[in-house]
Amino acid sequence: MSNARAVGGRRHSRNRLARREALTFYLLISPWLVGLLLFVLGPIVASLGFSFTRWDMLTPPVPAGLRNYVRMVDDRLFWQSLSVTVRYTLMYVPSELVGGLLLALLMNQVSAKGIRAIRTIYFMPSVLSGVAFVVVWMWLFHPEAGLINATLARVGISGPRWLVDPNTALTALWIMSLWGLGRTAVIYLAGLRGIPKELYEAAAMDGAGTWHSFRSVTLPMLTPAIFFNLVLSIISTFQSFTSAFVATNGGPLDSTLFYVLYLYRKAFQEFQMGYASALAWVLFLIILVLTLLVVRSGQWWVYYEGEER
Amino acid sequence: MPKRLSFALLLILALLVVAGCSAQEGGFVQTVVVTATPMPLPEGAKTVLRVGTGDSGEGLTPHFKIIEMFEAENPDIQVQLEPVGSGDYYARILTQIAAGDPPDLLQIGDDAVPMFVDRGAFVPLDDFITGESYPLDTSIYLPGVMEPGKWQGVQYLLPKDFSPMAIYYNKRLFDEAGVAYPAEGWTWDDLLATAQALTKTDASGNVVQWGIQLPGPWTTGFEYWVAAAGGSLISEDGTSFVGYMDSPEVQNAVQFYADLYNKHKVAPPPADMNAFGGGNSEFDNGTAAMRLFGRWPQSGMKENPNIDLGVAPLPAGADRAGVLFWGGFGISSLSDNPEAAWRFLRFYTGAEGAEIWKDWALPTVKSVAEESGLSTDPIEGVWLNELNHLAPRAYVFTPYWGQTADPALRRVLESAILDPNANVAELLATAAQEAQAALEDVQQ
Repeated sequence: MSNARAVGGRRHSRNRLARREALTFYLLISPWLVGLLLFVLGPIVASLGFSFTRWDMLTPPVPAGLRNYVRMVDDRLFWQSLSVTVRYTLMYVPSELVGGLLLALLMNQVSAKGIRAIRTIYFMPSVLSGVAFVVVWMWLFHPEAGLINATLARVGISGPRWLVDPNTALTALWIMSLWGLGRTAVIYLAGLRGIPKELYEAAAMDGAGTWHSFRSVTLPMLTPAIFFNLVLSIISTFQSFTSAFVATNGGPLDSTLFYVLYLYRKAFQEFQMGYASALAWVLFLIILVLTLLVVRSGQWWVYYEGEER
Repeated sequence: MPKRLSFALLLILALLVVAGCSAQEGGFVQTVVVTATPMPLPEGAKTVLRVGTGDSGEGLTPHFKIIEMFEAENPDIQVQLEPVGSGDYYARILTQIAAGDPPDLLQIGDDAVPMFVDRGAFVPLDDFITGESYPLDTSIYLPGVMEPGKWQGVQYLLPKDFSPMAIYYNKRLFDEAGVAYPAEGWTWDDLLATAQALTKTDASGNVVQWGIQLPGPWTTGFEYWVAAAGGSLISEDGTSFVGYMDSPEVQNAVQFYADLYNKHKVAPPPADMNAFGGGNSEFDNGTAAMRLFGRWPQSGMKENPNIDLGVAPLPAGADRAGVLFWGGFGISSLSDNPEAAWRFLRFYTGAEGAEIWKDWALPTVKSVAEESGLSTDPIEGVWLNELNHLAPRAYVFTPYWGQTADPALRRVLESAILDPNANVAELLATAAQEAQAALEDVQQ
């Protein structure tokens, strides 16, 4: 394209190219952006307003100042839901990061041809309806007739009552969620494929074995992917909802009462929209702070190719 | 620095995307199916009525049938059914009310009536009922079926269908064990003895047949036990749980119920605490002799080869009492056409409608029940007779039952069922105080 232009016009044409790229970018992103501005941003701003009111959706909101926020301090279920969510996040995020990586390393062993099929198979659960797969898992976890306990019984183990027992219900939801590892694995896989072969060759020449080249080449080169997965995983885990909503409704004895489930209950079952909005904003702040902390920490351990260290 | 900034922006976008995604997954997305009725003709040719219902699938058939009948008789009115499935019906109509655009007629379940009515969502019907042009004779209804549609003595909703509670039993298992079928007049002691006689264990002590399948920590169903124990969960003025929820009668009820699970071991432990009715399948499989529940699964049981079905009245504790589950329709106070809405409501829930509903649930109109032979049917007659023993449910005394005492009672039941050593008196005392605090908080 630049062939047709004089050499002196190169800078000019580069500018034009950049502008055109930017234009394309905004054009392509616009359906989402317009949707966000029209349908999401408005409610988000409105919910901040509602959080300072009492509102049952049937009668007009009544100003309540900071009451909704103060109320959380003494709300046992608020703390319970926060504690359940934090515990679940501490269980799930590490397992997703490590498990996804192992899965990606395994998938990376497959030939380039087979990888498409494998990738599709492992990514599939991430696009399936959350409700459908939770229902399947509920059958698997059935205390008497479920496949899991039936299998355990065959080897003489009397399995736990899983979703019916407050001591095991959260663990059961965690096992259920590992089904979705494919999502992180696919991102790792892309990262793995992007590591230049020369690095491994050089490492091999320096006498590095499998473990060493993994530690000194693969892992550092993957840190951007790990970072991305970590951030996304924290954000989404804090908002866990579907599995508990469908499988346990927060029970038994509030042992799986995720924060968002509690919020949903307040909003749509107990009709306390003001309090629910306040809960939403507190969750947003928690996630924001955590995310910023992780982003901050990134400068110590995330390595970008081409960056000088 | 700008690089940093754009990264932060991207992050925020990602945050929102994730927030959006998880919200969608949770079944917040509802599908609205509108009837095939064509769009209204221009210029006042027809009044269009919208009807909101939480029914779905097969359950919509009677709605469509009645609408068709009504439209044939009333050419000036066109009715559009707006069903919302997936359990988000109330969330949807609340949103519609908040936006000022709800359907003209709304279907509501029993315990939601005070909450909606107390906040002015429905039009009082008394003037319509006694009106000149389209009066309604309320003496046509079976006893007890109008009460759930009232709030503070005023009628706001009319009954669509209902179910009492009763005990299903499998005659085959009774015959095998040589145990007499339960009948009117039996008591909690008889229930326990019958259940014990029908519980069987194999050589290694595993239970192979259970006496009675119970509905787990289902609070609404549990109100039967409270009523039969002679207790109540709330004061009649709707202000106190303390002194009621923690009373000796309620303690007896919880203890007896929990003992059926843990001490006497005649009831299979719940397979799914969250499922409506405990998620057990023993009665359907022919490995439980009795089942306490509402009438909803009855048609399936009649066709089930494992079951030779009988239905028995509720056993009496200190009192002979039962509870009612109910759904009805009312006219939205935001409706532009309350008169037309009344004409349809009167048809929908009157004798004409009941003629259709009777094929799907128990009819609300006495003459329909009698003429169709349901009142004298050995099974349906038992259900209908339960209407003579109804005790008021707790929700009728407060619009806040669902958000205050219900979750507290549920925790009591879950604890008592899961933990054989639970201290019922202590659990109830804590629950009553929690419910009381929640009530005072929400009334502030």
